[in-house]
Amino acid sequence: MTIEHMFYIIYLPMKILCVRLSHFPWRCEIRKNPALADRPAIVIQAKDTVSSQKLVLDWSPELQGLARDMPLQQALARHDNAELIPSDIPYYRSVFKEILDNLEQVSPLVEGSDLGCVYIGADGLQLIYPNDSALINAAREVTADFMPQMGIAGNKFLASLAAQQSKPDDCKILWGDAAAFLKDLPCDVLPISLKSRSKLRDFGIRKLGQVAAMSPGPLQSQFGLEGKRIWELAQGIDNTPLYPRFMEEVIEESVTLPSVTVSMDAIVTSAESVLLHILPDIVRRGLGIRNLTLWTRTWNAENWERDINFKEPAMDSKNIISRLKRVLEDYPQPGPVEQVGIKVNRLGYTLGRQRNLFADIRAQEHLVDDIKQLELKLGNPQIYKVKEVEPWSRIPERRYALTPTSR
Amino acid sequence: MVENTGKTVRADTYKPVNAPAALQVEEDALGLPLTVKLKRREAVISIEDRWRIDDEWWRAEPVSRLYYNVLLASGQRLVLYKDLVGGGWYEQEY
Repeated sequence: MTIEHMFYIIYLPMKILCVRLSHFPWRCEIRKNPALADRPAIVIQAKDTVSSQKLVLDWSPELQGLARDMPLQQALARHDNAELIPSDIPYYRSVFKEILDNLEQVSPLVEGSDLGCVYIGADGLQLIYPNDSALINAAREVTADFMPQMGIAGNKFLASLAAQQSKPDDCKILWGDAAAFLKDLPCDVLPISLKSRSKLRDFGIRKLGQVAAMSPGPLQSQFGLEGKRIWELAQGIDNTPLYPRFMEEVIEESVTLPSVTVSMDAIVTSAESVLLHILPDIVRRGLGIRNLTLWTRTWNAENWERDINFKEPAMDSKNIISRLKRVLEDYPQPGPVEQVGIKVNRLGYTLGRQRNLFADIRAQEHLVDDIKQLELKLGNPQIYKVKEVEPWSRIPERRYALTPTSR
Repeated sequence: MVENTGKTVRADTYKPVNAPAALQVEEDALGLPLTVKLKRREAVISIEDRWRIDDEWWRAEPVSRLYYNVLLASGQRLVLYKDLVGGGWYEQEY
């Protein structure tokens, strides 16, 4: 069970510290397996759940000529001796969350944008950190394992650029003439769509100084709304607000399957079992599930996850299970599954709930209650029901399983 | 925050139905079952059927079994298999 954070918007901060943790996925892998530190390695991820094509996610810093989302074949053509590591996004997220938690001790306004990039609202912290170096040292202390590049500026765009330009484990502070700092930078640093970026290139506009020299009108007429943003960014103006994390309850449970499986029934049964473990606590508090993430992990460490939203807070396990089943059927797994988990991201109060009046359904509820009582008295679980898992399997013990009746 | 119920869903909360049970079997020179020890040792009178399954070959522990449907001296029929990976004998309904 974990506490996670959602976002709310703050428009005011004018002093932003950006902390960039370069090669974050690779450094997370090093944390898992320190022996990797001495070997050239490429962290790879599947292009999507349907194709088997692999793309580069990250790499060890000594490998040159690689880029994110580069096809693996191209990467191997450059570095055929590199070790390939399948990405473990849930692990990276948990490490990132840990870092954000720690940075929240430095400043209460922390926004974790992409994995490995953090914006910290640094206004009003003068009594705690009398100068910038005290703030930088505090942030460095909690991110030291990840060789942070830091930048301080008056908005997120400039702070991010300053961080990108600083050396690892160092900080660049950008105050004063932003235009002079920006004018020689390539347009590729702009956080804009790929289409606009390539259009700028087609117009022969390669440096931010060229954009800044233009008036906003022509840019707006060519690029629409984004044209205004491009012009503003080139002037060093970025009104993007800081979105600090907001405390929200998150409940996460998972189950490891007795053996890896591709059987939809086995995966659904496991998801059902996890849900029925989580749900009673939520329902007892009069709450329902508004949003959950269903995730699986395959035997070769690939991850699959889907977000499921409920229009109204869901309290009925049957409805939730039928949604889970539909999602599992619609989005195929990348391989044989060995772990299934559910993360409940958002809870909500239901406005009204109609109880069933029919006695036989009540009787079923009473039976489940009695079984639960029995479990409480004698230890769990006591009564099982037979469920089809892989009835077609050639291995007899894989065909059916006993699952606890109360779950 | 929801309090932890203290109960965790573990892999062992699933119980496979019809799990194989280890069996003491005496083999002949060809590896065929000669006697089977149930409550007492019983001779295998005839092998009525025999089939082999090979599965999950992609896993670290592949499944490779040779099943026998045998008739014992007591008149009882029994399905047993030899685990071709581990070498042991098991009783299991098929």
